[in-house]
Amino acid sequence: MEIRIFVLLPLREYCTMPVASPVVNPRLYRLVRAAVILVLTGVIVAGLLGEIPQLDILEQSARNLYFHVPMWFTLMVATIISAYHSVRYLRSGDRMRDIRAREAAWLALLFGLLGIVTGMVWARFTWYVSSGQWWNFDPKQSMAAVLLLIYGAYFVLRDSIEDPDTKGRIAAVYNLFAVATMPFLLYIIPRQLPSLHPGGEGNPAFSQTDLAPAMRWIFYPSVLGFIGLFWLLYTQRVRLAWVQEQLRDEPEL
Amino acid sequence: MDWIAGMWAVFRKDLRVELRTRYALNSLLLFVLGSLLLVLFAVGPQPLTARVQSALLWIVMLFAASIGLGRSFVAEQEQGTVLLLQLNTRPSMVFAGKLLFNLLTVGLLTGLAAGAFLFLLNVEVPAPGLLGLALALGAVGLAGATTLLAALVARAARKGPLLPVLLLPLLIPLLVAGTSATRKALAGLPWIQAQDELLTLIGFAGATISASVVLFDYIWHE
Repeated sequence: MEIRIFVLLPLREYCTMPVASPVVNPRLYRLVRAAVILVLTGVIVAGLLGEIPQLDILEQSARNLYFHVPMWFTLMVATIISAYHSVRYLRSGDRMRDIRAREAAWLALLFGLLGIVTGMVWARFTWYVSSGQWWNFDPKQSMAAVLLLIYGAYFVLRDSIEDPDTKGRIAAVYNLFAVATMPFLLYIIPRQLPSLHPGGEGNPAFSQTDLAPAMRWIFYPSVLGFIGLFWLLYTQRVRLAWVQEQLRDEPEL
Repeated sequence: MDWIAGMWAVFRKDLRVELRTRYALNSLLLFVLGSLLLVLFAVGPQPLTARVQSALLWIVMLFAASIGLGRSFVAEQEQGTVLLLQLNTRPSMVFAGKLLFNLLTVGLLTGLAAGAFLFLLNVEVPAPGLLGLALALGAVGLAGATTLLAALVARAARKGPLLPVLLLPLLIPLLVAGTSATRKALAGLPWIQAQDELLTLIGFAGATISASVVLFDYIWHE
């Protein structure tokens, strides 16, 4: 005969208490937020009003350097973070890693789009004023569009799978496989083709002569500021996704 | 030796299943011929430049591969033979066997597409060796990229046009280097001028195949 023993636990053991989000330390978050607000305000004011060298053709459009180039740095950071968390997900199977990889990929898509738009505007008013052309076959521009297509495909792939574990694993594999072909897309092919960007035909992407000393004081903070902005958005999105995940698991919360 | 025998067994099994119906081969063949004839009618009788010719040839090849090569893993899933393979072989054997089979398919496809293309458009090739090497390296890269993605797609619940969506953006480097090398072969340039493209094709094939070998385990295990 089977004997069942019921143990009465205090009531609070039955309903899982909401756990503090493990995503980010709130003090660090507030610190970075304050720094980003300060730096980006400074960059926008100084970038639009500050002194820049007067060069032919470029003229005032050189100010776009402060906004266009940091988008690409941020895109690279987002890509690396996404790939890193995909590797960790394959190793551990921890749902949090999958969320992080997904949100970093989403932000890579966003910053890549902004990079393409700022670059398009820059090229239109610098090189194609006479023809009024918005899109030109510049290898870096087109390869960036391909990168966005890859991340678009990543999200289509995610949507095609129901089971969350399979979804995470398959998406992580695609993410890493895409990363394996990215050096060709971003470094090898663009350097074999003539380009409007610095770094066409085998040069390093950004050399000493491309950046006037006065512009460095705005450019480098701008890069850091946009990467900081990415970090803020990223942690917020990860926290949101984490909360949604908790709610799905525990509808009573 | 055990590993090679396992790989060979998977390859032989795929070949035998394929030869029973010849469904994949025949549909691929007709797809290539059909799209080549479409190209022929679309461009009309005027002669094309080497640039346009190489672009058309590669586009036909890439689309044929992205449509035809998804079968290998989907068929296992549909017939319920995945578990059998998982029990009897190691993942790397399955991957190598499927890669070999896809390599054979892409090789046939490339040879057929290039041959029919040159014949139908009446193209003279001054550097056949270079053309052959560019197409062969392109076929290896194509098979390497497609095999892993076909395994991915087989896992997805909603398949539809998923394989081309995943595959085509990843194949852009292959397309750029392949068309450039083919154009140089059709224009009769010496080998040394196509060195960059050939190295890129070798690198692409190497990168995709090594990444696939590392990543395949994670797809194959439940």
